[in-house]
Amino acid sequence: METIILFAPLVGAIICGFGWKFIGEKAAMWTATGLLFLAAFLSWIAFLTFDGVTEQIQILRWIESGTLSTDWAIRMDRMTAIMLIVVTTVSSLVHLYSFGYMDHDPQWRDGEVYKPRFFAYLSFFTFAMLMLVTADNLVQMFFGWEGVGVASYLLIGFYYRKPSANAAAMKAFIVNRVGDFGFALGIFGLFFLVDSINFDDVFAAAPTLAETTVSFLWTDWNAAELIAFLLFIGAMGKSAQLILHTWLPDAMEGPTPVSALIHAATMVTAGVFLVCRMSPIMEFAPMATGFITVLGATTAFFAATVGLVQTDIKRVIAYSTCSQLGYMFVAAGVGVYSVAMFHLLTHAFFKAMLFLGAGSVIHAMHHEQDMMNYGNLRKKIPYTFGAMMIGTLAITGVGIPLTGWIGFAGFASKDAVIESAYVGTDGGYAFWLLVIAALFTSFYSWRLMFLTFYGEARGDKHTHDHAHESPKVMLIPLGVLAVGSVLAGAIWYGSFFGKTNEVIKFFGGKYGEPTHELVEAVAERSPKASKLHYVMESKPGEAAIYIAPENTVLHEAHYVPTWVKLSPFVAMIIGLATAYWFYIVNPALPRQLAEQQRPLYLFLKNKWYFDELYDVIFVKPAIGIGRFLWRRGDGNVIDGSINGVAMGIIPAITRLAGRAQSGFIFTYAFWMVVGIAALVTWMSIGGGAH
Amino acid sequence: MIQADLNVILPEIMLAVYAMAALLVAVYTGKDKLAPMLVWLTAAGMVIIAAIVGLSGDGTNVAFGGMFVDDAFSRFAKVTILLSAAAVLVMSQDYMTRRGLLRFEYPILVALASVGMMMMVSAGDLMALYMGLELQSLALYVVASLRRDSAKSTEAGLKYFVLGALSSGLLLYGASLVYGYSGTTLFSGIIQAAQHGEVSLGMLFGLIFVISGLAFKVSAVPFHMWTPDVYEGSPTPVTAFFATAPKMAAMGLFARVAHDAFGGIVADWSQVIALLSLLSMFLGAVAAIGQTNIKRLMAYSSIAHMGYALMGLAAGTAFGVQALLVYMVIYVTMNVGTFAFILMMEKDGQPVTDIRSLGMYSKREPGRALAMLVLLFSLAGVPPMLGFFGKLYVLRAAYDAGLAWLAIAGVVASVIGAFYYLRIVYYMYFGDDESEALDQGSGTPVLWGFLMASAAVMVLGIINMFGVEGAAAAAAAVLVN
Amino acid sequence: MEEMLREYLPILVFLAVAIGLGLVLILAAVVLAVRNPDPEKVSAYECGFNAFDDARMKFDVRFYLVSILFIIFDLEIAFLFPWAVGFKDISDVGFWSMMVFLGVLTIGFAYEWKKGALEWE
Repeated sequence: METIILFAPLVGAIICGFGWKFIGEKAAMWTATGLLFLAAFLSWIAFLTFDGVTEQIQILRWIESGTLSTDWAIRMDRMTAIMLIVVTTVSSLVHLYSFGYMDHDPQWRDGEVYKPRFFAYLSFFTFAMLMLVTADNLVQMFFGWEGVGVASYLLIGFYYRKPSANAAAMKAFIVNRVGDFGFALGIFGLFFLVDSINFDDVFAAAPTLAETTVSFLWTDWNAAELIAFLLFIGAMGKSAQLILHTWLPDAMEGPTPVSALIHAATMVTAGVFLVCRMSPIMEFAPMATGFITVLGATTAFFAATVGLVQTDIKRVIAYSTCSQLGYMFVAAGVGVYSVAMFHLLTHAFFKAMLFLGAGSVIHAMHHEQDMMNYGNLRKKIPYTFGAMMIGTLAITGVGIPLTGWIGFAGFASKDAVIESAYVGTDGGYAFWLLVIAALFTSFYSWRLMFLTFYGEARGDKHTHDHAHESPKVMLIPLGVLAVGSVLAGAIWYGSFFGKTNEVIKFFGGKYGEPTHELVEAVAERSPKASKLHYVMESKPGEAAIYIAPENTVLHEAHYVPTWVKLSPFVAMIIGLATAYWFYIVNPALPRQLAEQQRPLYLFLKNKWYFDELYDVIFVKPAIGIGRFLWRRGDGNVIDGSINGVAMGIIPAITRLAGRAQSGFIFTYAFWMVVGIAALVTWMSIGGGAH
Repeated sequence: MIQADLNVILPEIMLAVYAMAALLVAVYTGKDKLAPMLVWLTAAGMVIIAAIVGLSGDGTNVAFGGMFVDDAFSRFAKVTILLSAAAVLVMSQDYMTRRGLLRFEYPILVALASVGMMMMVSAGDLMALYMGLELQSLALYVVASLRRDSAKSTEAGLKYFVLGALSSGLLLYGASLVYGYSGTTLFSGIIQAAQHGEVSLGMLFGLIFVISGLAFKVSAVPFHMWTPDVYEGSPTPVTAFFATAPKMAAMGLFARVAHDAFGGIVADWSQVIALLSLLSMFLGAVAAIGQTNIKRLMAYSSIAHMGYALMGLAAGTAFGVQALLVYMVIYVTMNVGTFAFILMMEKDGQPVTDIRSLGMYSKREPGRALAMLVLLFSLAGVPPMLGFFGKLYVLRAAYDAGLAWLAIAGVVASVIGAFYYLRIVYYMYFGDDESEALDQGSGTPVLWGFLMASAAVMVLGIINMFGVEGAAAAAAAVLVN
Repeated sequence: MEEMLREYLPILVFLAVAIGLGLVLILAAVVLAVRNPDPEKVSAYECGFNAFDDARMKFDVRFYLVSILFIIFDLEIAFLFPWAVGFKDISDVGFWSMMVFLGVLTIGFAYEWKKGALEWE
């Protein structure tokens, strides 16, 4: 079954991409979509019937070279199962949605066939993503990792007539290379240290790694720390974390379904998945996870601030994605991998829906993306409005405080992240940044809603008059995702963020009694917490995630002070109130504020000047070096010398040789004698004569 | 005793007796009228003898006290020599008949030259070596000036003769030095005298002179000067002959002397040969660029190819000799095909040698142009043609023997050399259509067959080289131990 | 080595004698002879005639042909002499070798005869 799930999208991609000429455009697209729905259906069966025990399904013997021997196999455990449903569900819905969205795209001329290509790319992406999540070893994962990179590149640059789309595609690809370099180094390092790249061997060796030191660059490192750090660099690139985040907003140049599938729900979460997958190593790398926490929190905060002032509807959601990914990394960084996965799952639903909703709005408004030209659309596109409202409620985390789980999907998972962050950092930096980010999230999400659906219609009147609700194929996916956005949190709260033993069982591990010292230490640290009953007993790699016995954040997170539990809710309310004040009650206020705080406004509007900074530090010098190497190195030195040799020196020698061939027999004899004289001289002076 | 000796050299005796008998019969009966028949007869005889040599013998047999050696190496070389000589004979028949050049002496001289070549590759003694060499050379001097009414042909013969005499002198002088310092002319004795890299200066001088004499025969730089003039002046079929069998024989002799006689001082001669190889490769590549006469061009091409073959010898290993043999077989095959094409280049029934006349040849004769393209690519060493694998072989041999610099130089030279081969391709496929077109459908089916077969071998041979590798390896193993 | 070189000593002696004798004769002529040149004496001697024209004229190629043919048979004699001298001690192989040699030479002779190389016109 897992094999069918994995290969159905590939088959779809091949049939759709190469076969549409034979079976027709419509049939090709339906084949791809149908196979995706099949994969999604089977994924849900696999997820719901999964018993938590890790199993490996070998597909073929893959690499056999020296000590490197690797199967191509599917690693079926809870992590894979979760990712399978996320990927296939969102992907199949996006396929369906694209029937409506991609129809009559103004980017293409009449009669041009572009839809089968689009569907083939989507299906290919899905296959690569499934390769990534089902990988049983690091190289296989890297294959999928690069595969989604390629698919992402192709899809961002899908409108290849737009120079900006091409630039964005290249930017995404190149920025990701930086991260991939780190990832590759991590894989090399693991192979160097463990002599294997299979997850089983790597995880089993994790405790040993923690006691090994390796020399890298200028100093000695703890092996586990180094590997964890290098792998995280890969994750940073793919998941658009700070420093390597600049490609994600630009990636919005791609068609909106692509943004929903790749740049919100699935590919960008691959980094989070990687960190959680490598939890056995992360658990032995406290410094690296500390770094992950800080960077994740900073990203969450940074992206949220930038999201406050953007006016392009897709960019707002893109920054929101960036920010939410920061949340996930914080969860993974403090050691509650289950919560990271939880937020990944719920986020996939509501963020995909927000994007698809935004796509629906854009579709309705004839590909107008600037929110300043929206307004008062809720009557014109009521279903889209409803869906967007559910999405907003989910992302801002609306629910009944202190119950923990009664609320929209984002409520359960985001609160879990913030509470874990409080425990994991002792109420420090990461916690506060996340709370502030939650406030901003609420603000910009509601700002988006108010600007789009409320107030007065702005912009081109003609466009507004012709705004229309999207067709059914686009609304059905919204409806399905809405269900997920509402219920996902409540349903799986217990499994991801319930009692320790429940979570361990869900992820296929064994739990056992904690040691006496550990119980006392926890009791001392969190006086309000109940007695610690269970810790994970499985060895690293036996369960889908590994939680070291000393890591009791999951337990303690349930007993944080009440004000901590309330903080995200309060932040959400403040954000909502402010947005309401700014955009409904007093619409002139934002402009005034922007005027007053102009430097701050520009700072945020220009995304903290990251792009400009990179332009100065990396891009310009790189272009300079490139130009130098091209003009001087390639042009002058290489071309110059080759041309010089080919067109100057060789013909000159040819002429010389021609002149030597005088036709006179004595010349010939002379050269023979000269030759033998030279040989004799050489041999008697420098040769082996004794 | 004498019976056993005669058995060993039976193939040579058969060919020699045939040649003399044919001479007498022809001169007393039909004279030149018999020539076409003699060509076919001689070719058939050579093929039969090649079959006898190739299939019958095994192991190493020595005759006349070690002066004549019949082993896997000599058999390999002989089969190549005889088959290529037969092929060239068959190819020349129509061409020479139509130009009134076909005298009955021609096939007989080729047969006698072949006897000399067989003698050369089997030589186990300096005197046997010289005898074979002269028997070959004298016959070749005569066929070079076969076209007596042409100044160029006569000049070619004379130049070849005078310079050949000079080189023979060098060789003899070297041989006498070697004899003087080792006390014997037998290779097996010389190798005893020069062992473990220990060699006296006089012996070394002798070695260098012998190498120089042999280098003349393989036309290695700087003893190559005769090649372009002789190739150009001789009738084209004779040029084809020069480019094939004698080269194989001289290379075989070179390898035999180097390893059988001087196998104990490999380091001494390997550097000399490496230098000759380097110079030949580069001069062959560079000087050919200026040529528009395809026969002169092929002369430089063969100089360059000899450079590559010498690279295998310079390696001084068994693998090097194997590479040399494989390279030579491929080279001979390529040249047979290429000369078949050149023999078909005619305008109004007259032979044409200017490569510019090939403008847009592909339009008129797509099949032949394609075959020639394959051959030229193979000559240039473009993968996946067989010529590439031949080069790869010698480069590997040189590299394995620590002559990486030579291998790199070889690659560079082949890049330069590719230019003039590709220029012919350029003329054939993109050239100027205005130039006076060559005749269509010229040549005989025989020529056409050789061209196509040779081109086909260049493509199909990459599968297993028709088993040549194994035979070459066995031959090399006998020579180097 | 020494031994072998010593065997060649007579050759060296002969060489020295030949060179020495030649030098002595030439020098003797220079030193002793009376020199009294007149036009008759310094002109080229040509069978009692005055020279018709320049001495460096072209010869008919047939002279070369005849001389080359002559050399071949001259060499044959050179081979035959030692063979004949040692005839008493020669084995069957030695005898038949010379027969083969003569046979080959005869074939060549027959060829050149039939080819007309021996006819002047």
